[in-house]
Amino acid sequence: MLGRGVKRKWSCLEELEVEMVPAAVTEEKEQRGEVELVVAPSRSERNHLQQRQRVLGLCLEKLQRYQVGMELSLRRSVLLINTLRQIQEDMQSDGAGAGSPDAPLHGVHPDSRLLREDTREDGPVTCPGCAEGDRDDLPLSPPLSPEFSSQEANTSVDQQKPPPASTTSAFSDAVNAMGYLSDLTLDDIFEDIDTSMYETSDLPPVWSTSSLWPVSVSLWTDEDQKVRSPGHGSPGSLNELDHIMEILVKC
Amino acid sequence: MLGRMEAAARMWHVGMTSSLHIRVLTLIVDAICPPPRRAALCDRAVGLCVQPELLNEAMAGVAGGNDFQWCFSQVKGAIDEDVAEADIISTVEFNYSGELLATGDKGGRVVIFQHEQESKNRPHLRGEYNVYSTFQSHEPEFDYLKSLEIEEKINKIRWLPQQNAAHFLLSTNDKTIKLWKISERDKRAEGYNLKDEDGRLRDPFRISSLRVPVLMPMDLMVEASPRRIFANAHTYHINSISVNSDHETYLSADDLRINLWHLEITDRSFNIVDIKPANMEELTEVITAAECHPNQCNVFVYSSSKGTIRLCDMRAAALCDRHSKFFEEPEDPSSRSFFSEIISSISDVKFSHSGRYMMTRDYLSVKVWDLNMENRPVETYQVHEYLRSKLCSLYENDCIFDKFECCWNGSDSAIMTGSYNNFFRMFDRNTRRDITLEASRESSKPRATLKPRKVSTGGKRKKDEISVDSLDFNKKILHTAWHPKDNVIAVAATNNLYIFQDKIN
Repeated sequence: MLGRGVKRKWSCLEELEVEMVPAAVTEEKEQRGEVELVVAPSRSERNHLQQRQRVLGLCLEKLQRYQVGMELSLRRSVLLINTLRQIQEDMQSDGAGAGSPDAPLHGVHPDSRLLREDTREDGPVTCPGCAEGDRDDLPLSPPLSPEFSSQEANTSVDQQKPPPASTTSAFSDAVNAMGYLSDLTLDDIFEDIDTSMYETSDLPPVWSTSSLWPVSVSLWTDEDQKVRSPGHGSPGSLNELDHIMEILVKC
Repeated sequence: MLGRMEAAARMWHVGMTSSLHIRVLTLIVDAICPPPRRAALCDRAVGLCVQPELLNEAMAGVAGGNDFQWCFSQVKGAIDEDVAEADIISTVEFNYSGELLATGDKGGRVVIFQHEQESKNRPHLRGEYNVYSTFQSHEPEFDYLKSLEIEEKINKIRWLPQQNAAHFLLSTNDKTIKLWKISERDKRAEGYNLKDEDGRLRDPFRISSLRVPVLMPMDLMVEASPRRIFANAHTYHINSISVNSDHETYLSADDLRINLWHLEITDRSFNIVDIKPANMEELTEVITAAECHPNQCNVFVYSSSKGTIRLCDMRAAALCDRHSKFFEEPEDPSSRSFFSEIISSISDVKFSHSGRYMMTRDYLSVKVWDLNMENRPVETYQVHEYLRSKLCSLYENDCIFDKFECCWNGSDSAIMTGSYNNFFRMFDRNTRRDITLEASRESSKPRATLKPRKVSTGGKRKKDEISVDSLDFNKKILHTAWHPKDNVIAVAATNNLYIFQDKIN
């Protein structure tokens, strides 16, 4: 079984770094949650993080592609979201356990886009379209002003969170039908309505109310992100996110 | 929006032309190998079989407890490298007698092949499947209320047991299920005097006598007519339909619900399973397949994206929210990865003909469950374990979401399922032997024996082995069907349908 584990990691990371077998063994352990606390992160740990980053990045990419209308399958998006959740848990357990898992990250993956995406992980992970309310929020109530400063938005995020959840139940299958199951992309829905906010706004308010647009995060500027994330983190991943942000700032 | 509709219309148009295409090409394939030439090729194939090497390989054959060889019988569909999306086969299904074989494609068409009896000058061949009927079952639609496009792709075909001269089948796309009647007509009534030659009714006062019409023979005509349309009952995409053993009802499953229908009634159905959470944010699991028990009409199963199977008894309650049995194998913690859940998602579930077992297919394996044992499968067969090291790239290129189907042979002694590189796998349940075969044009000479294929799994690659890295992941065999009585199999490889049979020596 370990042999397989080794290979699995290997294929994912072959272009990144060649790795030794023993490292993979500890990595296996790590995956099972037996995170070893080491001051200088081991190679395995680094690889684990690398893989996590890669899977995470792909996950988000796929969800985004899904929303552009490439593939529309509830099964697929549920599986992707569950994978995101798993990564989230993994990150939280890392954040709670390990001292500074971000050091290797810094060295390995300077791609700030991925790191940025991490930060949305601390919000509840939901499927696109799961948050049925959003769809209605948009056309019905005007979105937050695009001129919202990131700071304001940051505080408003938490205040905004509950409403969509509560309004969700008010919308029936028909609404639903527009989400998950539809053969229609979100772009299409909003095409006729208002797309300006996505182009002009630094902070898409839609996203801040829920995770309907998981990947629209990439629209943010780094500055927004830096200000935003620390206050937005859940207790578990807070430490780690702080670290990531520090790295970003230094970058 | 207009652009989309235009595109849909274009697709439809392409679909129509390529339907002709298939028929023409079938003719071409038949024309390429006219009977005498075929016989010659057969002789050559017989010559091949004498090679000792092949005889040894034949021992790896799988079916019915006896070893034998699989040989090529037919291939249907275009030879072109360019594959039109609409021509990709999306489902394959034999009817109960095996006389008819239906395929559905992404263009919404159903093509039915009929088995033709062996002729005297070709005693080695068990007869071939030739096109019997082709019709457009579903067409692309646009739901204006929800502003969404509905693909015409045929997701599933299920035959109804034959009860009279006509054949019936159910076909479904994402939203609408249709009941089709396929009937033959080779006679027509002539000599009516109630109508004139143009078909207009004549003035009854001018008809002085009644003439009894006579039935005159005519060229055989196969008609496919839609008899029932079961629409507007699924909010999500339909993944399965299954005709019940009472022959009166059937179930249809989408991602979150299962409905029970009466074959005669189109305006209502009963929702028997609903796993949609009140708050969709809590959704973590979807229904991936469902099937009725082959002889207990109150029992059905459905599989989920979490790798579990639930067996429900419709006698227990109208809404089978609570399962009677829950089949789940505990996860092996040592093989846990980020992809664990994705690869454990079940893509197909099939009861054995006997009804004692069921088989489930997940991404890397196929499992046989005894209905009397819920905690683990009685048999597990690795389909392509070598891909475990490739999961990351398979995830990247979306292959990890492919939905492979699986099927039983007529006697439940062997199972078959597909893989990549146009490979498909068979497992003999008695001998526990397995074989990998390939559906390819290269070996598509009549009666050519299929050479077992091997994928090298680490270490040195032996001669005749193919390395994991050179597998073509665009060539996948998702749909296969096994003749209910004979060792004849139908394998859908993208836009081609291969028919193989065992060799009668």
